[in-house]
Amino acid sequence: MERLIEILEDIQPDVDYANCQDLVDGHYLKSLDIISLIAELEDEYDITIPAIEIIPDNFNSAERMMKMIQRLQEEV
Amino acid sequence: MTLESLLLAEKGKSLTNFFSLSYMIVVLPFVVFVYGILPKKWKRYFLLLASFGFVWLVSGGMLIYLMLTIFSVHYFGIWLDRLQTELKGKAGGLPKEERKELKALYQKRKRGVVTLAAVLHIGGLLVLKYSGFFTVNVNALLSKLGVDITLTIPKYVLPIGISFFTLQAISYIVDVYHGLIKADDNVVRLGLFISFFPQIVEGPICRYSQTAEQLWNVQPIRYKNLSFGAQRILYGTMKKYIIADRLNLYVKNVFDMKLDYNGGAVAFAAICYTVQLYMDFSGSMDAVCGTAEIFGITMPENFKRPFFSRTISEFWTRWHITLGTWFRDYVLYPVTSSKRMKKITSSARKKIGNHYGPLVAGSIALFCVWSCNGLWHGSAWSYIFFGMYHFVLILSGNLIGPIVQKVNTKLHINPNSVVYRGLQIFRTIILVIIGELFFRAKGLKAGLKLFKKMITDFALPTIQDMGIDGYDIVLVILTLGIILFVSIMNEKGISVREVLAKKPAALRWAILYALILFIVIFGAYGYGYKPVAPMYAKF
Repeated sequence: MERLIEILEDIQPDVDYANCQDLVDGHYLKSLDIISLIAELEDEYDITIPAIEIIPDNFNSAERMMKMIQRLQEEV
Repeated sequence: MTLESLLLAEKGKSLTNFFSLSYMIVVLPFVVFVYGILPKKWKRYFLLLASFGFVWLVSGGMLIYLMLTIFSVHYFGIWLDRLQTELKGKAGGLPKEERKELKALYQKRKRGVVTLAAVLHIGGLLVLKYSGFFTVNVNALLSKLGVDITLTIPKYVLPIGISFFTLQAISYIVDVYHGLIKADDNVVRLGLFISFFPQIVEGPICRYSQTAEQLWNVQPIRYKNLSFGAQRILYGTMKKYIIADRLNLYVKNVFDMKLDYNGGAVAFAAICYTVQLYMDFSGSMDAVCGTAEIFGITMPENFKRPFFSRTISEFWTRWHITLGTWFRDYVLYPVTSSKRMKKITSSARKKIGNHYGPLVAGSIALFCVWSCNGLWHGSAWSYIFFGMYHFVLILSGNLIGPIVQKVNTKLHINPNSVVYRGLQIFRTIILVIIGELFFRAKGLKAGLKLFKKMITDFALPTIQDMGIDGYDIVLVILTLGIILFVSIMNEKGISVREVLAKKPAALRWAILYALILFIVIFGAYGYGYKPVAPMYAKF
């Protein structure tokens, strides 16, 4: 989780990633940030994030992102 | 007089207009009545039959395109599902590495199937819609190169609604491919989802997960649905007959360039066309959503008060929403999340920072989206220009975004103040109107000529200059006032219909009758007015 928050802070600083629950819906993360984030997450966690995973629900909090990462790591 | 000749009055196109008498007085009440009295288990089959009947009445034998689309995506869906089941069966119990390899193999197979489906369906649309445009341009190129060959220009009749139902079919197949939905083994349910008659002419472009189950789990006709649906259809009728069709005459005269109008008259015509297009298309969507509401079906909305947008990007999230989200999900995201683009993003971000880095891949994806969006509207350079115009505006917005932010901070400007927001909305409206000028003009050359006229020969037009009646202007402004009031209420989250529903019956009926009378007395139809086909049906 710490590493994920580091990545997020590198992309868009000044956001309370540990507690914020509406990163996308609250416009803290813009679409360009999401493009960067996907590229970074794929490198860091050795996963592929397909287009269908790009929904606000998966990116609204660091916790949701972690859940998506773990799910993609465990998939067949 | 046969039933068919009555329904196909007005040169056989009247049914594509949801505000024509043949649709409002014959077809819709007939379908609602039969649907209402049929037992539950027959309702869904009747809806499919009514949808096919509707397409047949409008476009005769071309119903075959719709049926072929349904059978084709049904087959492709089952094929994809079978591959997925096979993978699950084989992968169970295998070590992780082998599972990964097997998954990659099946992913490749599934990608092959979805590509074949996309090539067939988009290919069909391309041939029917663009081969004429392509041949004309190849001929022009050959003649410029001095080659003495002229290709015959093919002419195809476009099946009604093909641009809409093809996108719906593709979205179904891609969603099955991604595992977002399960393939439907019931061809009737899938057929109803693709061909439900209110949506076939102008959309909205629905997703399987939005309407398929609703259509299948048919509801009885309920009083609230019937009255809310009818109200919404009436509201759309007001937009279409009192505003859109009334402005049509003036807009047509200026854009046909029959007289030498001055720049002011051109600017006014561009404003009128923008209003006409919005009222025509959103009015049709009111009729579509209202009709669906009568059957207890909630359709995705296509408009969310677009002229309150602060930026062009925001405008496109509020105007023709279902087309925008289609391009976002099936073009923008797949392009930005492709391996090559992700590599570009990673390296660009390190070199040019967090804002401009991802903008490189984002711009390439946006370019693809806006090329497709422009071309989707029609096979002409003016539509491609329209797409590129909006691409450049959105890209510019992204490029200067951080600079504007810095300037605002330095000058202590509050970007959320009423004045700032008002200016942003005003700027967005002006940019949209300029785009619509090119969209409506008869070709790119004519568009450029009109634009030049607007800039270089500007003079405030008089009512005589414009050839429009003062009475027309007063009526249009008055009706726009009503729509603006409803829009402001909706923007504040207040549903005017829900508020009215709580008022005493006498007041509700008085408002309803007033609306009907308003349309009957002031609608632009009859002598001097030609019925205007729904503007988005041609796309």
